Amino acid sequence: METSFAITGKGYLIMAADTTAARSIVKMKIDEDKIKTLSPHLLMAYSGEPGDTVQFAEYVERNIRLYQIRNLYPLRPAAAASWIRRALAESLRSRKPYSVNLLLGGYDTATHDPHLYWVDYLGTMAEVPFAAHGYGSYFALSLLDRYHNPEATLEEGLDTLRRCLDEVAKRLVVSPGKYKVKIVDKDGVREIEL
Amino acid sequence: MSIMDHNGGSVIAMVGKDCVAIASDLRLGNQALGISSNFQRIFPVTDRIYLGLPGLATDVTTLHERLRFRLNMYTIKEEREIEPETFAHLVSSTLYEHRFGPYFIEPVMAGLSKTPSGGVKPFIAATDLIGCLNFAKDFVVAGTASTKLYGVAEGLWEPGLEPEDLFETISQTLMNAVDRDAFSGWGCIVHVITKDKVITRTLKARMD
Amino acid sequence: MAGGVCIADCQYWETYLGMHCRLHELRNRERISVSAASKYLSNLVYSYKGMGLSMGTMICGWDKTGPAVFYVDSDGTRLKGDLFSVGSGSTFAYGVLDQGYHWDLSDEEAQELGRRSIYAAGHRDAFSGNTCNLYHVKEDGWKFIGNYDISKMHYEGPGNVPGAPGGGYGYDLRVEGRSSANPPPVAATA
Repeated sequence: METSFAITGKGYLIMAADTTAARSIVKMKIDEDKIKTLSPHLLMAYSGEPGDTVQFAEYVERNIRLYQIRNLYPLRPAAAASWIRRALAESLRSRKPYSVNLLLGGYDTATHDPHLYWVDYLGTMAEVPFAAHGYGSYFALSLLDRYHNPEATLEEGLDTLRRCLDEVAKRLVVSPGKYKVKIVDKDGVREIEL
Repeated sequence: MSIMDHNGGSVIAMVGKDCVAIASDLRLGNQALGISSNFQRIFPVTDRIYLGLPGLATDVTTLHERLRFRLNMYTIKEEREIEPETFAHLVSSTLYEHRFGPYFIEPVMAGLSKTPSGGVKPFIAATDLIGCLNFAKDFVVAGTASTKLYGVAEGLWEPGLEPEDLFETISQTLMNAVDRDAFSGWGCIVHVITKDKVITRTLKARMD
Repeated sequence: MAGGVCIADCQYWETYLGMHCRLHELRNRERISVSAASKYLSNLVYSYKGMGLSMGTMICGWDKTGPAVFYVDSDGTRLKGDLFSVGSGSTFAYGVLDQGYHWDLSDEEAQELGRRSIYAAGHRDAFSGNTCNLYHVKEDGWKFIGNYDISKMHYEGPGNVPGAPGGGYGYDLRVEGRSSANPPPVAATA
C-alpha cells in the first residue's frame, strides 16, 4: 500500500514516499518518484488513484511554476497549500474529481521555518508538525507523538523517520520496500539515500 | 457512516445577559483516526459576530473563504458593518444556492446586534446544511455531539447569565457533551462576546 | 486477559473461561497452563464461528513452562508470542510498543512501555480511551499495578510511578516552547 511521511525539524523538513507503482496484484515499477519539487523550497508527496495522481501533481507543478514566472517570486508554503487545497475542493464537486492525497512541505525563506500541510482528496487541510498518509499513518502517528522533536537536528530527524519506516516494514502486511527521501531547508531541495 | 461525521466536531452558541458565547471542540479526524487537535472551526466575522462551521472539514474551509468574500463585498457596497440578522440570512442563502449539492456544514452564529436606543441585543442562530434558519432564544447546537449538547444545555442553561457565568455554562455544556462523543473533543475553545470585548479561552479538555 | 472489539462477547466468554480455569484447578489440583486456557477459549469461539462473535483477546500467564502470551480471536486464530496488541487502537499501541521494546526490559520499564502504548491508542483512536488498567504477571501470579486516566497521563503523566519520565505524555506538552524556526543569527549592530 502507498505510504508517505513528512516531519519537520530545526530549519528543515523531511519527506518520504514509497517508490512502488502497483496495478492489481502486480508491482509495475519499484523506483517511481512520488515527491514533486514544486518550487525551490516546496515539496509535495502525492498518492491515491493511479492516473489522477500524476495528472494532478503536474497540473499543480505547472501552475506554481507559472506563478513564479509571472511574479518573479514563488508562492510561500501557506499560499501554495491554500491554492492546492482549493483546486482539490473544487475538483471534488466536479463531474470527475481527482482522488489524490497530499503532503505539502515547504521552507519559508521569509520566516526561516518549515511548514507542513496534511491535505486529503476532499480538500481537507491541516497544518501539522508531522504527517503521514496511507496505512502507515496508523502505526507512525502514535510513534511520532512519542519521538518527534521540533528542534531535532537533521540526523535526529532522519533517525525518527527511520523509526517510522522500520515500524511500517515490521507491522504492515503489504509494506512498501523502498522509499525516496527528500529534504527541504534554507538551501533548497535535495534528495538523500537513507 | 455519514459524510457529516467523517471529520467530527461540534459547535454550540448560547445567549446571556447582554452577551453571547460560542464554543467548539478542536478535533480534526479522519473517521476514527485523529489528525489534528488544533483545527479551528469558529471564525470571527466582525468585532461582534462569530461563526462556527461544524461538518465536513473541506467545506469548513471552503465555506469560510466563500463567506469571507461575500461579507467583504457587502461591507464595501454598504460602507458599514453587517448586522448579525443580515449575516444569518447571508449564510442561509449561500447554503441554499447549493440546494441540490450542498456544503456539508451546519453553521452556528453568535453575535450582538445594535438596538435603536444604542444598546446591544444578543443574537444566536443556526441553520441546517441547506440553509434553514433557526433563531433560538436560548442556545443552538450542531455537529456530531449535537444530541448530547441538547441534553446538557437543556439542563444547565438559564436566562440572564452574566459573561463569566455564561462562560462557565457553555464550557461545562460543551466539555461534558464532547466527552460522550467519540468524534468530538481533543481540546475546546470558547468565545464570549460582550459589548466592549471578546473573551477567548482554550479549555483543558480530555484528550482521548 | 485482555479483550477488545465486541465488549459483550469478551465480557461473557472471558468470565466463562475464568470459571472453567477454576474448575480445572479444583478437579486436577493444579492450575491450568496458559496454553490450555487459551486453547479452551480458542476452541470455544471456533465452535461459534460464522455466528457473529467478535473478540480479540490476549491470554497472559505464567505456568510450568514460564511466561506466555497467547493471542486468541473469534476467527479461531490462536498465536503464541511475546508481544501483542488488540482492538481498534492496536496499531497506535504497536507503533510505540515496537519502538520501545527490548528483550531485557526491567519490570518498571516494561510497565511504563505498556502504559505509554495504551495512552497512544487512547489518544489517537476515537474509540479507545478513558482509563487504562495495568497488570503485571510474574512467577507468583498476576499483580494489579494500577488504573490510569488517559487524559491525566496526557497532561500530568502517570504520576509518581517507577519508570515514568515525569511530565505529561501529550505531544504539545512535551515539545512546549520548542520551535522549528531556524532564523540566521542576527549580526551584532554596532
